[in-house]
Amino acid sequence: MIIRWVSEDGKRKWIYPVKKDIYTKGKIIKQISTKAKVIGITKVNIPSPMHPITPYNVILLEDGYGNRMPKKTMKEYKINDVYEIKPAKTDSAVIIAKIKYDIYEYLKHSLKLLHNYNISSKDKILIKPSIIEPAYSYQAVATNSELLDALITYLRENNVRDIIVAEQAMLGNDTIESAAKSGILDVCKKHEIPFVDLSKSEYVEKTSDNFSFRIAKEVLERKLINMPVMKTNSQIVVSGAMENMLRVVDENTQKKMFEQDIEETLPKLIKILPNFLSIGDATIGMQANGPTLLGEPAFLNMLFLSKDPVALDSVFIEAGIFAKPNYIKEAALMGLGDSDTNNIEIIGDELEAIKYPLKAAEKNATAHTKIKLIDGKANPYIYNTALKMSAKLVGLLGQEINLVIGSLITKDMLQEKTRLVAYGKEAIEKLKPLGIKPVAEIPEEMDDIEKIMLLKSILQNPDKESITVIDKLKSKIASFGTKIKNKF
Amino acid sequence: MAYIKGAGMSKFDVSRDWSYERIYECVNEALDSGNTSLDDIDAIFVSSMEAESNGERQKHTAPMISSMLQKKLPILTVPAGCAGGGVALWNAIDFQKANNANNVLVIGFEKLVANISEKVTDEMLRGGERVYEQAEGMIFPAQNALVAQQYMMRYDVTSDDFALAALKNHENAFDNPKARFYKKKVTLDMIKNSPVVASPLRLFDCSIPCNGAAAVIISKEKTDIEISGSGISTNKLTAFEREDMTSWNSTINAAKLAYNQAGITAEDISIAEIHDAFTSVELISYEDLGFAKKGEGKELIRKGITKINGALPVNTSGGLKAKGHPISATGVSQIYELVLQLRKQAKKRQVDNIKYALAHNIGGAGCVTAVHILKKVM
Repeated sequence: MIIRWVSEDGKRKWIYPVKKDIYTKGKIIKQISTKAKVIGITKVNIPSPMHPITPYNVILLEDGYGNRMPKKTMKEYKINDVYEIKPAKTDSAVIIAKIKYDIYEYLKHSLKLLHNYNISSKDKILIKPSIIEPAYSYQAVATNSELLDALITYLRENNVRDIIVAEQAMLGNDTIESAAKSGILDVCKKHEIPFVDLSKSEYVEKTSDNFSFRIAKEVLERKLINMPVMKTNSQIVVSGAMENMLRVVDENTQKKMFEQDIEETLPKLIKILPNFLSIGDATIGMQANGPTLLGEPAFLNMLFLSKDPVALDSVFIEAGIFAKPNYIKEAALMGLGDSDTNNIEIIGDELEAIKYPLKAAEKNATAHTKIKLIDGKANPYIYNTALKMSAKLVGLLGQEINLVIGSLITKDMLQEKTRLVAYGKEAIEKLKPLGIKPVAEIPEEMDDIEKIMLLKSILQNPDKESITVIDKLKSKIASFGTKIKNKF
Repeated sequence: MAYIKGAGMSKFDVSRDWSYERIYECVNEALDSGNTSLDDIDAIFVSSMEAESNGERQKHTAPMISSMLQKKLPILTVPAGCAGGGVALWNAIDFQKANNANNVLVIGFEKLVANISEKVTDEMLRGGERVYEQAEGMIFPAQNALVAQQYMMRYDVTSDDFALAALKNHENAFDNPKARFYKKKVTLDMIKNSPVVASPLRLFDCSIPCNGAAAVIISKEKTDIEISGSGISTNKLTAFEREDMTSWNSTINAAKLAYNQAGITAEDISIAEIHDAFTSVELISYEDLGFAKKGEGKELIRKGITKINGALPVNTSGGLKAKGHPISATGVSQIYELVLQLRKQAKKRQVDNIKYALAHNIGGAGCVTAVHILKKVM
C-alpha cells in the first residue's frame, strides 16, 4: 500500500500524515493505492542488524499517481511487474503489515485481507486488549491505544454499535489504574464504549480435556477480537495471541492453569473459547526480559493479524528468531491451529524479509543480578511478587540466592544450585519430597515487607544456612516499623 | 569576503586512534599552514555524526573540543550527515561575515570504523528515512543502487562507466599519502570483478568508510585563497519521493548559489572535488554541477576529461571512493585538497593553471548539499 497526504490543490505531497497544508491551511487528501508497478530492483548482499539475512531484494514501486516506495522482498521481480497483495485464501493465514505512519489505514487494509472475516452491524464485539500493570504507552506493556482507536473507528464505520473493551490486570495490579495509564480508558471514553473489568465479571464454568475453566461470561457471549501486545515472556517465551487469553478466566483458574503446567493448560483454554480474531500489536512490541520486568521496547512498527492464534504466535516467534515453546507445539498437535510456518499462508510483508533476532527473555533473570529464579511454572502472582521482591533489593551487595517458585520443580533444575529459598506454597511443598532443605521458606501469605526483609537478610549473610527465629522476629519488627512510619 | 588561511587533515584510515588525536593533529596542521595561533581563533564550527558504535561514547562534542583546545569560545556543532563538513564550513563563513570575525576554525571528524561491519552499516542506515528506508533494508548502497539503475536505464550509462570513475579516483589516491588507498594498486579488472554490494553497484562503486579528521581556518584577512562562492540547499530525505530521481536538486541549487556569488559559471571551474559516495553519484553530479548536459556525464569519464591530466580534473585526492569517507570529515578534507592544489603543494597530484576550484559535499542521497568555490587571488 502506498499512501501520500496531498494538499487540496495537489501542489504538495507528504509521506507523513500531516493534518493540514501548512502553506494554505487547506485540507489534506489521502492518496492510497494497493497496486503498483515495479520500476526498480536492487539485490542487497550486505547484512545489517535489522536485515541480517542476505541476499534480499529491494524493489521500487510506483503507483498510478506516480507515488513511489521501496519494498524489501525475498522474491524475484522484474521491471514492470505488477505488485499487489492478494487476500488470504486460508483461515490460518497471517497478515503481516509494516506500518508506514498510518496505523488506521494499515489495520483497515489488513482486516480486508483476512479470509472470510466479516464485520456486521449486528455483531456484539468484545475487544480484549493486553493490560497487565500500570505502565505508560511507550513501555509497550499494554495494547497501543492508537491501535485500539483505529479498530474502534473501523468498527464504527461498519456501523457496529455494540462494542465493549474488556480486560483484567491480575498480578495484584489495579485494572482501571492500568487501563488509565496506558491511555486505553481515554479511547473508550472518546468512543463512548464501556470498559469492563473482567475481574468483576460473572464467570461460566467450562471443561476442556478434564480441566475446568471459569470464563468471563462476556467473552463467551460476544464476538471476540483479541489485541495482544507482541512481547517476550520470561516464563513462556512469548506473550502473544494465545497468552493474552489467559486473562479471560478468573484468578483461581489462572493459578490452577500454571500449577498444572501452563504449557498444557493454555491450549486447552484456547480449545474451549469461541473462534476469535487476533490483532497482534507490534507497533512497538517488547523484547528482552518481559513482560513483568517490563523488558525493552522493540520498535517493530508492525501488525500481525490472524484468525489462528497458533499461527500468529508461530510467525511472530520465527520473525523474532525465538525458540518455539511447548504450548505452541501442543496447540498444533491438538489441532487448534498451524504452527508450521512453511504451511502458514503469509500475506503482506514476507516472513523471511522481516526476520531479525530480538532479545529473548532470560528464564531465571530478576532485576537483582544476585537473585536468580528457578521457575517451576509458578503462577503469575508468585512469579510477579518474586520479581518485585528482588527489584526492591537492587543495589544491595550479597551472595547469590536461588529463589525457587512453582510446583513443577524437578531435581534436575536444582542440580548444583545452592542457597535455595522456596517461595510460595507450591515450591515449599515440592522441595520436601525431593529431600531438599532450603535456606528459608517464604509463604506467599507473609506480609510483603517481611518477605523482603527476610530475603535481604539471606542475601547479605553469605554463611546463613537457615532462617532463625531471630531473623523472623527482626523481619516482623521491620515490617511493623515501616507500617507505623507510613501511617504517620 | 572570506579567505582561507590554513588547512589540515589527518590520514584517513581505520587505525584505532581516538578522535581527539586526529582532531589535534589536523588542527595543528591547519594552524601551521595558516601561520596562525589558536589565540587568533574567534569561533569554531565542528561537525561529527557522533557515532554510537565506536566505543567513544562522546556526544557533547563542542565542550570536548573546548577541553582539548583549551578555548572558551563559541563552539557550534553542525551535524549534517555526509555533508557535515561542507555545511559546517557554510555556517562558519556566514558567522564570520555576520560577526566580522577575524578567524573561524572549521573541524570535521569521524571515528566510524571501530566495530563489526554490520554495526557500521547500521550506523549509516540511520541517516535514511525511518519507516520507508530503514525498515525496508535500504542501506545506503541500496538507496543509491536504485537511483543508479534509473540513471542507467534512462541515459544508457553502463557499469563500465562507473568502473572508469572508480579507476580514476584510485589512480589519484595512489599518490595521496593521506588517502586510505595510498600506494594501493587497483586495476579495472579488480573493479569490474569486485563483488556486488547492491546491484548494479559493486564494491568498487562504493566509497570506503574510514576514520579521519580535517580542519580549515577561514579569515577576513586577505590570503592567497578566496572563498568566492558558498551555497547550501536541501531536498526531500528520500530520493524516491522526488519527481526525478536521477537529478539531485540540492546540488543544482547549491551550485547555482555558489556560482552566482562567485560571478562565474561551471565552465570557469578548473578542478573539482566531487562527492563520489558512489561512482554513479559522481556521474550524476557532473550534470547537476553543470559540467555536462543531462545524461551526458558519462562522456566526461569516457573521454578522460575528469582525469588528473584532463581538462577538468575531478577528485585528485582520490575522492570518497579512494581517499576514504569519514562522513563529517569528508567535506572539510575536500577543501584541504583544493588548498594544496591552489598552493601548488599537491606534489604528484598537482594540477596546473587552476583559477577556480569547486568542492561538492552531499549528505544522504542528495538530501543536503554544500558547494564551495575557491579562487587563487595572490
